Amino acid sequence: MKLSKLERTAAYLALALFSAATVLPLLTAFFTSMKGDEEFSLGAMRLLPASWHPENYARAMRMGDWPTYFKNSAIVTAVAVAGSLAFNSLAGFSFARLRFKGKQPIFLTLLVGMMVPAQVVVIPQFLILKSIPLFGGNDWLGAGGNGWLDSYYALIVPELAGAFGVFMARQFYLQFPRALDDAAYIDGAGYLRLFFSVYLPQSGPLLATLGIFKFVAVWNDFFHPLIYTNSEAMRTLQLGLQVFRGEHQVQYNLLMAASLLVSLPIVVMFFVFQKQFIRSMVASSVKG
Amino acid sequence: MQKGWNRVIPYLLILPNVLLFAVFVLVPILWIFYLSLTDYSMLSAPVWTGLANYSRLLHDSIFHRAVANTAWYWIGTVVPGMAIGLVLANLLSMKLRGLAAFRALIYLPGVISSVAVAMTWLWMLDPAQGPVNPLLEFFGIEGRNWLGDPATSLETVIVIGVWTGIGYAMIVFLAGIQSIPESLYEAASLDGASGFRKLWHITVPLLKPMTLFLFITATIRSFQVFDLVYVLTGGGPANSSTTIVTQIIGASFQEYRMGYAAAMAVFLLAATLVVTLIQYGIGSRNQAAE
Repeated sequence: MKLSKLERTAAYLALALFSAATVLPLLTAFFTSMKGDEEFSLGAMRLLPASWHPENYARAMRMGDWPTYFKNSAIVTAVAVAGSLAFNSLAGFSFARLRFKGKQPIFLTLLVGMMVPAQVVVIPQFLILKSIPLFGGNDWLGAGGNGWLDSYYALIVPELAGAFGVFMARQFYLQFPRALDDAAYIDGAGYLRLFFSVYLPQSGPLLATLGIFKFVAVWNDFFHPLIYTNSEAMRTLQLGLQVFRGEHQVQYNLLMAASLLVSLPIVVMFFVFQKQFIRSMVASSVKG
Repeated sequence: MQKGWNRVIPYLLILPNVLLFAVFVLVPILWIFYLSLTDYSMLSAPVWTGLANYSRLLHDSIFHRAVANTAWYWIGTVVPGMAIGLVLANLLSMKLRGLAAFRALIYLPGVISSVAVAMTWLWMLDPAQGPVNPLLEFFGIEGRNWLGDPATSLETVIVIGVWTGIGYAMIVFLAGIQSIPESLYEAASLDGASGFRKLWHITVPLLKPMTLFLFITATIRSFQVFDLVYVLTGGGPANSSTTIVTQIIGASFQEYRMGYAAAMAVFLLAATLVVTLIQYGIGSRNQAAE
């Protein structure tokens, strides 16, 4: 479209205004994280810090056991991403390329499950995790202890049950021509060889998309850790931020420093993988 | 055909997913229906009470408040979020410099966790120290404790909800616009159509699938809002910003009324299913029309 100078200026102005509306709060959070404690008692409002205090970040990390929170979030996210990628791609491949009895009804059941909100099933999930036999002090009937609650299992295992990921993987593997499979069969390949030497090497875009989704979902998850864990040792980063609340006086400079640190991995990933990131968001809407 | 191992392999490949799905989704769905018909505190076995939980829901004024608030949150976030997203997508579809940067900046709030977002806004809106009130006063608007005042708490959460969701609507609309062939606009230009007419007669109709998709997903997401409310207001003050999910979590994991909370969860599931079925209805009617 050809644009007049006026249109062009108006468009820039509107975009700048909206970008400011999204970025200014984040920028303010950054400047606040750098302010010294004394600036808050003065009451005078200014955007930039009077003096810069990068040591706030180290101070914030000393309020609460942040190395543990980081470790917990990293382990849970890494295992959930790796595990769900393996399970989803294998299942998606099986549904898309292989023939077996009961395929359609099983797949349809998965599809229906995709529509059920996590918040609806959280109570029974909690009860199931609590009664896993022979874990967390439970007997073989699943009674007596806490089962998988307050452990990595509770934060990881339910995340692996992704109907959405299977659906995306199936859609992806359906695009390939039938002749590809036949060629492999003629060469004497079995199903597993077909997957590992023909489809897996082509799965880069799929794995990137699913991986980004899972990473963001698990890293940012607040709901499940809040309900499935209770000990300090099992806290994840999102729960750790709560450390700064509850007292009468919130130290906003430290709180903002911690919030930014918690968001940093996601923001870095967003800017590095921006193209993939946005493509996967679009893919979920067009295919989903 | 394949023999031996190859007959079992398809099942083995789907087994982990199907098993996990059965344990963590399928069984819980059935269980939630059963629990909703019982009284259960986790300390002793569930006691069958029939529809008592549901009839209590009918008379629970706080739950009614939660449903009304959720409906408000739905209306307040979905329509403005999509409208602003559409406008931005249109601006970004013009050939301007620095588009990638604008796109990234506007999308940024969408990737940050809702807890970090909530913390940032708690600071911005802090009545004693935050920068929002002085800014508003500069424009002649009287500052107040936006989150701590029952008259404004829900609306404030809604504005923050819109703020986080605009980027996603923008990206989806932008992808839709970019798939519209340039020749359509060129033909319209030859016929002397203005920019606005092109938007209204070409862009908007062709974005119908994206609009429908965004509407449904945003609706379902708004039904489930929890993190923002929990961190910003905790549902208060005086239940002024409580939502269905806040009530479910409060009743189950704070008051241990699992059966009652289960009835609320069934309500939420039913609402979600109704919306999804309407989507299928509209979607298939559209396909039939084409």
